Amino acid sequence: MNTIDATEHYETSAHDRPPSLLTIIVDTNPHAWALLNPTLPLSTAIANILVFLNAHLACNYANEVAVVASHTHKATWLYPVESTTTRNSSSKDIDGDITMRPQAPSPPAPSTSINKYRPFRIVEEQVSSNLHALMTSTTPESLSTTTSTMMAGALTLALSHINRRTIAWNEAHGGDITNPNDPPNSSSNNTRGTPESTLQSRILILSVSSSTGSAHQYIPIMNSIFACQRLHIPIDVCKLSGDAVFLQQASDATKGIYMALEEPRGLLQYLMMGFLPDQRSRRHLVLPTRVDVDFRAACFCHRRVVDVGFVCSICLSIFCEPLGDGVCLTCGSRLDMGDYGAKPAVVARKKKKKKVKANGPSATGTPTPTPTPGP
Amino acid sequence: MAAAPSSRPFEYLESLPGTVFFKLYQQPSTALAIFRRMLPDLAKCFVMALLYLKQPLPAADLEVWVQSESLKERDNALSILGRLHILSNTVTADNVRAYMVTDPFATSLRNALTGADQTQSFGVLSHVPSGSEVSIAGLDEYARRQWEGVLGYMVGTGGLGTQREVTLSKGVKELLQAGHLVEIRDRRVEITQDGFAFVLQDVSTQVWHILILYVESATAIGMDSVEVLSFVFLLSSLELGKSYEKNHLTSKQLRMLTDLADFGIVYQESPDAPRFYPTRLATTLTSDSSALSNPILGALSGPTGDPSSKAGTGFIIIETNYRVYAYTSSPLQISLIALFTTLKYRFPNLITGKITRQSVRRAVEMGITADQIISYLSTHAHPQMRKHNVSRSTSNQAGIPPSVLPPTVVDQIRLWQLERDRLKATSGFLFKDFVSLAEYEAPCRYAEEIGVLAWKSDQKRMFFVTRHEQVAAFLRSRK
Repeated sequence: MNTIDATEHYETSAHDRPPSLLTIIVDTNPHAWALLNPTLPLSTAIANILVFLNAHLACNYANEVAVVASHTHKATWLYPVESTTTRNSSSKDIDGDITMRPQAPSPPAPSTSINKYRPFRIVEEQVSSNLHALMTSTTPESLSTTTSTMMAGALTLALSHINRRTIAWNEAHGGDITNPNDPPNSSSNNTRGTPESTLQSRILILSVSSSTGSAHQYIPIMNSIFACQRLHIPIDVCKLSGDAVFLQQASDATKGIYMALEEPRGLLQYLMMGFLPDQRSRRHLVLPTRVDVDFRAACFCHRRVVDVGFVCSICLSIFCEPLGDGVCLTCGSRLDMGDYGAKPAVVARKKKKKKVKANGPSATGTPTPTPTPGP
Repeated sequence: MAAAPSSRPFEYLESLPGTVFFKLYQQPSTALAIFRRMLPDLAKCFVMALLYLKQPLPAADLEVWVQSESLKERDNALSILGRLHILSNTVTADNVRAYMVTDPFATSLRNALTGADQTQSFGVLSHVPSGSEVSIAGLDEYARRQWEGVLGYMVGTGGLGTQREVTLSKGVKELLQAGHLVEIRDRRVEITQDGFAFVLQDVSTQVWHILILYVESATAIGMDSVEVLSFVFLLSSLELGKSYEKNHLTSKQLRMLTDLADFGIVYQESPDAPRFYPTRLATTLTSDSSALSNPILGALSGPTGDPSSKAGTGFIIIETNYRVYAYTSSPLQISLIALFTTLKYRFPNLITGKITRQSVRRAVEMGITADQIISYLSTHAHPQMRKHNVSRSTSNQAGIPPSVLPPTVVDQIRLWQLERDRLKATSGFLFKDFVSLAEYEAPCRYAEEIGVLAWKSDQKRMFFVTRHEQVAAFLRSRK
């Protein structure tokens, strides 16, 4: 008789396990891979990534993957891509978007000797052929101009794909489709992060470039990070080489995993153990996280990574040096710089005389908690 | 609670001896299917983490990997892995207890992931001359017709005549009888209690049920259960809408193919055709219950021939005042709903009715449980209900998975069932006629400690236990 209580009927949906969408952003910056080549060539890394993708697909029938390449001058899809460019006009859906279906790109003469689970093979064929196309289209001239990678673009592509798939999944499963951009419980005290009933998405960044070259993308990268934070999409970062200032912040802000690999040759094992568990399993696991996150920002004026900067009090823009005319470059507010640029003669005079009238309004306005000890 | 979708195949597999597993795991598609379908999330993480390790992972390391609050989940995952012979206990070189993935399974799963498979276990695609391919819609239609035919035969809607009559082969009927889903009385088909439970389940559970029955009956007539099971798992890894070569299959597998075609699990133009197509019933075998909301499974149970059914998943709306609206014209679904509802009106595409105390009690008397009714209703709930309830319950109860049905209806159905369940039978053994209170108390306390005590009466000096061996031994030892 006592078997009925108020909580029991919630278990009916306990077995409803929504699939997860894993988006991998592979940094294909040739400069960085050239440095890594002795320990982990790109081809080996891609092979490891493919096994990892297959493992993710193997975990659930409805799991999805997407792969974005973040190259030196552009960010591009490796999987899924539309099957053929000639069918562009016919395959548009009602929104006018071109549907990206994980369709086989009609492989030339499928060799029957390879016996492979078909979803695995489609992913593998598309990723390798698209990566090959990307590499052959890269010219030495385009490489000489820049050494950084288009991480911001890749993140944006990944986010738009996730958004699109989430909407499509909700439509197909009768979820809340009215405002998919709004997390339904952003204000509540839900500590679990993602709501249980929608497509679970996450982003994994395989980073090799160092951040010094990508400081000019600071603003778009941070915007993407905040979008992920709001949508409860964890950004996992697997760092093979270089230092990634902003990516540490990305995984920290979105509760993702950050791992800098000491031994890049063990990439597959790192991926399998650290990055394969999805959000549901992560609740039960002790995750590798980083405690000493590098929170440095890049200035808005010169895109330099700064330790100490100057912040506009109106719009919170960061600048590496005080503004000449006191006008914020971002919001245009006139800022009273006070007497910032004054010569440090203040200190010198203080030493000579104890009581002296400070020469600026800002100096008098600042109360000093402990008076300078007298001589 | 209705059985978890994977429980039945899991129970069957678990009962198999270890040598069968050894043979089963030789085939990559089997390893993949079992990995995907039978394991809980945490177990999948363990397997994948251990898969590419050269050395066994010390048990202590695995234990610290799991958060301390999740010990239950960890032990559950480890015990399932052990029962399926996937994880084995070993010791490392310096004598530390450690886990490793057993060999045929590890090799096969690695082969499945990397594609280094030599056994053709993922099927061989057949090249169909263009123009004669069977479309996915055609396959879905075929699967739906066959499956509804099977269910209709069980429920007895064949006489309604609104549907095209599906001719069921003798094998199908025999299998349903052998599985005690139907009984033939006076040459009339009568559904059994198990049959009611069966028809109310979701489609993927039904398919597994049938397949396990098939494997059992095949073993009974001398077919090798490994071969049959391997073929089932092979089917589950095929792709919908593609045709596959038959000439790699053994004669027994060809025979299975014909039998499974009767259920709509595979499709072949004729028994002699050189190729076969898996239908969605086969290709979604390794998906878990979220595939229920797949458009096609929805169409399988939804209104027949209605183009809009592809978009939606379910068709039943229940209000908090117990009224039921079902957008269906399928005689099968109508007769299922009529099992536990008092139907009021019938329109071309809609029936309405009400869940009442009488109707639920009638269903319970027929052997249907409240859990079956609830799981049937929530499986086929209209998208509008899902949407409404999901948005409402996430706003006020964060963290609790939302219930699709109105909680008051769910609770009331359970209470109505409990009205009948006032007696609970427990088989066991009664100990009585103790001479003194002390003589009575000691074994009684012992039985309570070992957890077999079901009932006791100090006044009458009697107690009732579910198992007597240990208590009897205890009594002997005191004499």
